[in-house]
Amino acid sequence: MRPERWIYKLPLRIRSLFDRRKADQELDEELRDHVEQKTRQYIAAGMNPQEARRAALLEMGGLERRKEECRDARQVTWLQDLLQDIHYGLRILRKSPGFTTIAILTLALGIGANTIIFSVVNAVMYRKPPMPEPDRVMVVSSASAVDSSNPDRVFSQLPASGPDYLDWRAQTSSFSEMAVADFDSFTISGDAIPERASGARVSPEFFNVLGVAPAFGRAILPGEDQPGHDQEVILSDELWRSKFGGDAHVLGRLIKINGNWCTVIGVMPPSFRAGSFIAKLWVPLVLPHAKLGATGRDDRSFRVFARLKPGINVRQASAEMATIAQRLGQAHPETNRGWGAGVMSLQQFSIADMNAGPPLAFLMSAVAFLLLIACANIANLLLARNSARQREFTVRGVLGAGRLRLARQLLTECLMLSFTGGILGILVGYGGLHAVLPQFNWNEDAVVLAKQVTIDDHVLGVTLAIIVVCSIMFGLAPALQFSRGDASHGLKEGGRGTTISRERHRVQRLLVAGQLALSLFLLVGASMFAGQFIQEMRANPGLNPRNMLTASISLRGPEYLQPQRQKSFYENALRRLAGSPGVQSAAVTSDMPFNFPDSLPFTVENHLVTKPGEQPACGHFAVSPGFFATTQIPLLQGREFTAADTADSPPVAIVNEAFARRYFPGENPIGRYIRIDPAHRSSEKWSEIIGVAGNVNEYLGQAQPRSAMFESFLARPRDSMYLMVRTRTDPAQFSDALRRAVWAEDGNQAVTDLRTMERVIADSSGGDDLLAELMGAFAATALLIAAIGIYGVLSYLVGQRTHEMGIRMALGATPGELLLLVIRNGMTLVVTGAAIGFLVSLSLPKLIAAGFNDFRFHGAWVIGLAPFVVIVVGLVACYIPARRAMKVDPMVALRYE
Amino acid sequence: MSKPADLLQGTLDLLLLKILALQPLNGFAISLRLKQVSGDVLQVSDGSLYPALHKLEQEGWISAEWKTTENNRRAKYYSLTRPGRKHLEKEADNWGRLAAAISHVVKLKET
Repeated sequence: MRPERWIYKLPLRIRSLFDRRKADQELDEELRDHVEQKTRQYIAAGMNPQEARRAALLEMGGLERRKEECRDARQVTWLQDLLQDIHYGLRILRKSPGFTTIAILTLALGIGANTIIFSVVNAVMYRKPPMPEPDRVMVVSSASAVDSSNPDRVFSQLPASGPDYLDWRAQTSSFSEMAVADFDSFTISGDAIPERASGARVSPEFFNVLGVAPAFGRAILPGEDQPGHDQEVILSDELWRSKFGGDAHVLGRLIKINGNWCTVIGVMPPSFRAGSFIAKLWVPLVLPHAKLGATGRDDRSFRVFARLKPGINVRQASAEMATIAQRLGQAHPETNRGWGAGVMSLQQFSIADMNAGPPLAFLMSAVAFLLLIACANIANLLLARNSARQREFTVRGVLGAGRLRLARQLLTECLMLSFTGGILGILVGYGGLHAVLPQFNWNEDAVVLAKQVTIDDHVLGVTLAIIVVCSIMFGLAPALQFSRGDASHGLKEGGRGTTISRERHRVQRLLVAGQLALSLFLLVGASMFAGQFIQEMRANPGLNPRNMLTASISLRGPEYLQPQRQKSFYENALRRLAGSPGVQSAAVTSDMPFNFPDSLPFTVENHLVTKPGEQPACGHFAVSPGFFATTQIPLLQGREFTAADTADSPPVAIVNEAFARRYFPGENPIGRYIRIDPAHRSSEKWSEIIGVAGNVNEYLGQAQPRSAMFESFLARPRDSMYLMVRTRTDPAQFSDALRRAVWAEDGNQAVTDLRTMERVIADSSGGDDLLAELMGAFAATALLIAAIGIYGVLSYLVGQRTHEMGIRMALGATPGELLLLVIRNGMTLVVTGAAIGFLVSLSLPKLIAAGFNDFRFHGAWVIGLAPFVVIVVGLVACYIPARRAMKVDPMVALRYE
Repeated sequence: MSKPADLLQGTLDLLLLKILALQPLNGFAISLRLKQVSGDVLQVSDGSLYPALHKLEQEGWISAEWKTTENNRRAKYYSLTRPGRKHLEKEADNWGRLAAAISHVVKLKET
């Protein structure tokens, strides 16, 4: 378009936009003037004035239509019309504030809930790791066909061993680069308070594979993975800020890692993360000789990362790795037979690792239903309102508005409602996330995940799509409704109770019944989750969790490489603690109950196993004497460990009831022997079983007790132990005293993870409590919205029948009878909806069990409770409009039209 | 001759522009004038006239002004703009070529 034409047009267009009334007036005047002139022409030609006028008007055609055509010719029409629609819509919505408020609030709740859940789903599933071509970064894992302690599970994401990694690296041609990492926890000390942080020892290629370089400084150079050259560290942005205050001159400064002074050589960018592998610092990996030898091949504790070569896809790489693994299985049958290798993208691995699939699926379904219920509500309300506006629409139609125009008007109103509700919903989403995310605290993975959950572009985009879909869902139905309407119906006086409105009533009833059914379904689901969790919490934990404080200590530092030193540290710490006022007793253990313990292989006497893959393994605990007394895990038979059970005395072991039942069925295990073989070495000595302990679960909600064995930590010391202290008073107050007692022994050791035992048990549910809470919140909201829906529809229906109520009263019906009439009508709806919902929810136990492995549903009464709740709520929602019907004054009602 | 309503929209535009090129007029006068100068052959219906005029105004080829007529009434007078004049010349040219081509084809001898 040439500039002068465009500019010339602009004032015209703008004038049309804003000075619409004046332009309209002018148009009107112009056309009328033409008709005037023509009339005069005809009169001058000899026609009489009326005929002349009629002829002139006929030739012009419908004035309004001509005006519309002229306006169309201006081409600004769509924008003008839109503005007009919006203007009009605002007026209409303002006129019925009750409806508008309820609609917007309902939508806000529905959309807000969806925003919250989708933000979490987005962070877990869709957000790509922040590295170049993240879909080509793979995690190569070991895959074992059989895990003898749990024959039903196939593990395909296990870590790899050092020698395996080297062989893989040498033999593969699918990857352009491969690296290995050892994730561990490190103690950072050297200043005031020692703390522990997750980190990784990595090979020099690690950052190349991921494709992310430090924000400043450098990564690890190839020569630095040798002992002596490895005293350097790369920090995460978070650690840099917390330990060095974001000092720009941090390169070259020293920090004490595991007791060794290391130089800071680089800092990673703030957004850097490697999927579900949490690390706050990276140091060079030095593969110790022990891990490289023949026995090292069986020590699978490393994670292997690799980047696909251009042109190779995951399937090809998987096939190649499977072949290589098979070759290794033949070359080293004692360690590698039956082991495969799996290739998965980093993102896929992280998703599977977090095991977030089923809970997220349930939560997403719940909020989707919630939104459906909200939309059904609004559709109902709109249907009710539109029948009241029937007259308005008919008049507009007669005046020349096309059906499309009217439909557009309604859709614009719906879009306005949706957008307002949507914006409010996003605010609700923010608030909700703010409240919910702090509860993601049952382990470090959850905390890291919570940090990544934000309302980003994806989420906003999805919210926008939801808004549009919603408007169409509840706007289209009423818009289509009256396009089938007959003009004369609306204009006739007393036009109600026609076939149209009866049909509309049926749709409204259907919507209400559907809402109730869905709410019931949600309620049952939420009750099951809540019931399961409550049941878990009330189950006997196997120990006495009250008044117990726990802490985690990982001894780091060159002096603690000696088992003797490890042992004496803990002995001294225990002695100090036992002597503290406020402490009833204290103990240490390698793993706490309700934490997944390490599994160690063992052999039962007279059940010697020849093939390495068939050796049983079970949870192993190294505990101090007095462990059972402190935790109050019952000793069903035999005795506890004492100070006399050391590395120098005959080895002894305690087993739990499940172990005894499985491996010594019908016999007394006391006096029998087992051999604990941590490295499949047959040179270990046989331990005599001296006691049988009660079962304790490894996590909340565990269905079957698992075998476990206990040894004295004096005989098998370790560097990482958990302190368990039974206090005389409130355990939470004891944290400082506990720390002081440990630091009196060695001030450089980090005391972390201080939790009461009750908290440990709750955390081990892996977020089940949060899941139950959320499902409960959504179900309650859904029920509330559905109740509002019933109330709204019933109010409207009762209002429609006011005339009829008046007649009935005049004919002698008592207010009580009217009340019953209305309630009966309403309750038929409620009961129908509840019945449908109930039938559908019978499928829920199976559904939930399919998604959650350990779900045992004991509370069948819950399924019965939900319909009861729904019916009561429905009754209340019916009662209020019914009471209003009761109070109708017959004279007023009879005159009402 | 077929009624002007059968003419292409572009042709009507051309006629209106030319009429206004001769003299600024209001809507009614334009339709009278067209009838006059074409010897009653070209008559534009009231229904087509005003939308066409408004479109021409929207495109910027004519401009409008409210004036008082001889009878002391208010009327909307349209006049040709400079870009309008250029457009008219261009369209008149096209029309000429089109008419000559149609003539030529119609006059071809049948065998």
